[in-house]
Amino acid sequence: MPSSRAPRGWALGALLLAFGARAQTPVQGFAAERFYPSPAGAGWLVMDSLDMHGRLGGALSFSAWYARDPLRVGGTAVVTDSAHGLIAGAVSWESWRFSFGFDFPLAVKGRSATIGGYAYPAPDLDLGSHPDTFADVRVGIDARLLGDAAGPFRLGLGAHLWIPSGPVEHYVSDGTYRAMLRLLFAGDASWLCYAGNVGVHVRPRNDGGVPGAPRGSELLLGAAVGARLPVGEAHRAVIGPELFGATPFDGFLHSDTTSAEALLSARIEGMGEGAQLRAKLGAGVGLGSSSGTPAWRLVLQVELFSGTGVAPKP
Amino acid sequence: MSRGGPTSCAEAMSSRSVAFAVLLLALAPSLTRAQASPPGAHEDVAFDVMNLLAHHGLHDLDDERWNAYGQTTYVSTWKLPFSAPYTNLNGSTNSLLPGAEHSFTWSATLYLGAKLWPGGEAYFSPELIAERPLSNLHGIGGAIQIYELQKGGSETPQIYRARLYLKQTIGLGGEPQRKTSDPLQLGTTVDSRRLVLVAGNFSVLDFLDKNGVTGDAHQTFFNMAFMTHAAWDFTADARGYSYGAVLELDWDDWAVRFAHVTPPKNPNQLPVDFRLWQYFGDQLELEHDHVLLGLPGAVRLLGYRNRVFTGSFDDAVSAFQADPAKNAAACTAYNYGSQNAEAPDLCWVRKDNVKVGIGVDLEQFVAKDIGLFFRAMYSDGQSEVDAFNTADRSMSFGAVAKGSLWGRPFDVTGIGLGLSWISSSHARYLALGGIDGFIGDGPCPEVVQGKDPSVCLARRQATEGVFEVFYSVNFFKAIWLAGDFQLLWNPAYNADRSGPVVVLGAKVHAEF
Repeated sequence: MPSSRAPRGWALGALLLAFGARAQTPVQGFAAERFYPSPAGAGWLVMDSLDMHGRLGGALSFSAWYARDPLRVGGTAVVTDSAHGLIAGAVSWESWRFSFGFDFPLAVKGRSATIGGYAYPAPDLDLGSHPDTFADVRVGIDARLLGDAAGPFRLGLGAHLWIPSGPVEHYVSDGTYRAMLRLLFAGDASWLCYAGNVGVHVRPRNDGGVPGAPRGSELLLGAAVGARLPVGEAHRAVIGPELFGATPFDGFLHSDTTSAEALLSARIEGMGEGAQLRAKLGAGVGLGSSSGTPAWRLVLQVELFSGTGVAPKP
Repeated sequence: MSRGGPTSCAEAMSSRSVAFAVLLLALAPSLTRAQASPPGAHEDVAFDVMNLLAHHGLHDLDDERWNAYGQTTYVSTWKLPFSAPYTNLNGSTNSLLPGAEHSFTWSATLYLGAKLWPGGEAYFSPELIAERPLSNLHGIGGAIQIYELQKGGSETPQIYRARLYLKQTIGLGGEPQRKTSDPLQLGTTVDSRRLVLVAGNFSVLDFLDKNGVTGDAHQTFFNMAFMTHAAWDFTADARGYSYGAVLELDWDDWAVRFAHVTPPKNPNQLPVDFRLWQYFGDQLELEHDHVLLGLPGAVRLLGYRNRVFTGSFDDAVSAFQADPAKNAAACTAYNYGSQNAEAPDLCWVRKDNVKVGIGVDLEQFVAKDIGLFFRAMYSDGQSEVDAFNTADRSMSFGAVAKGSLWGRPFDVTGIGLGLSWISSSHARYLALGGIDGFIGDGPCPEVVQGKDPSVCLARRQATEGVFEVFYSVNFFKAIWLAGDFQLLWNPAYNADRSGPVVVLGAKVHAEF
């Protein structure tokens, strides 16, 4: 008779439900990418050339990038495809630069997964479902404190703020304000140029033990070196690697929390004074498989910027 | 007067003020505006960043490589209580609530433009909006009290990309025409005969039905009835923006424009349907500019044809009458939330429908800085609103004047009357208790008693109207403070709930 088995069945169901609930603690989305493009006019794809100069100058840029598997948790890619556009601008005044960046996700796709008892929702964002969405909007100030715009060593500071505006459930925003404070350095010497930074990503979200999720503020590191090659009389190309990464202070340098990425970047740019055109291409791979480290990445950028018209000092 | 010309005010500005303006410009995105009300031209002597740079020799306004403008606006309106014999009858959800209510919008916009190559320009405009509509944006047809209100908005500020498009101008000769530096317009010189192609993400209102008298809604009327034709159901997402292309041929005093743009996936929603070969809104406008007694004016004829996934009123009524199980409360597909189990619903009958309309727009200045306007449009009214508002026919007219006559040339005042109507099939659907995206007070009381809706239609179906008068005081050539009075009657075309409804408003608007 079904009636005699009913209480036991209910108990079993309740037990299963309880386990089920524990097994599927829902994960709130967050900003999966740890790729922070340089401000408009900053030369490199990620680093900053700190070559602000003259009175009023500026730059406007359009970037697009694609990252494969930028969020992998326990070997499972939750975010499998991440394509973004970025419209950025900057106004410079002598050695200061005020910049903004509007990152708009074009497509963020993936699969839902339950990992370690946590249920990760699948991102499903495209231009049709989110025709006008920004991921977090970024504004910033950078200043060169030491060195000339084209000198062998330049030192500066940068402060950037992300204003939360993207849909958290699609892994394009933490849903909180975030900031980035960095010490920047760069230089030019004959055919060689370099840039780097060390800084802190002030990240209020700390989801504790949720694999792949934010674990509070992070240390940022990055460096780039490139060779400058003349292209005709009015243009030059710069080719070189850019390496960058981030590690949270909570879980410092752990392999599952630290992201690292290498991009081979190439750019061609005008060398004259006044408005110049710059085109950049970057392709790279993630170094490891932690959260925020893609399998590979492709970046394109076109930029109008105020040229220095000054050759680097030998 | 050239925008680049010096003024005593500008000469007094120090280089520190330039740096401050540059800082404002850089930080503007942290505020960033909203809705599909296109920006108006900036006055030559306005206080704005571009004028400031030009006055210091840092920018050429006549041949711009880039420009950047911005605005922010806060509008607050208070609806006084009105009496209504019934509200949201039998589970309907779209009545204007009879109690006192406060609504507001706050918007901020940045307009960036850059010249890419000869004749090629790119424009980008991020916006922010926060809002609280009256009655959850229900209960008013064509006379929504704040032009900036968006569907699905919230009191939490939302930042989004409003516009991102390319514009290519191809000169075809004629006289040189100067285009002044303005939001979404680089300062340049173009041929009076030219072909202009725009492609990308924009508001249709950025290019069509640009009445020079009503101008920038941020500076004139509060009510949406005066922003464009209330009956023009131009396809757009819930914020009023579309993807697509506009082709414009200017030939001296004549212009013809054609726009082919995306509709929403579901009526009045944000997601966009990019299948432009299957679902689209087409608009065709013919414009002639003239000078009458030495004063400028223009005439525009505008037609539109939407091919969209919507419901027809007659189909919904027929479906319900054939099978009462197909009622508003039972439908689980995309619907507007009615719980009326005895009413038809558009949800059951959505399919590919064509909606058409034709309208005329007149503007005529009758003195310096005093203009008259008139708009009228007739839409077929057979299917539901897809993107704008619920009016099927509309007319608006009035006058706008700047304060030159009384020595305050930056002040703006206006008076207008906006009227709109719905079709008989739309009215019958509502009388049976159906709702559309924005209106539906419930069935006629006679229908509740089991009588045929025709018994009440003659009494209930009415013209919705709004009378509005405003005055906007300017400060520092950059900030406007406005007071506004609106009188609405027959909201949702329902004479049973005729009101009138008094709405008082205030607005602060700044441009930079």
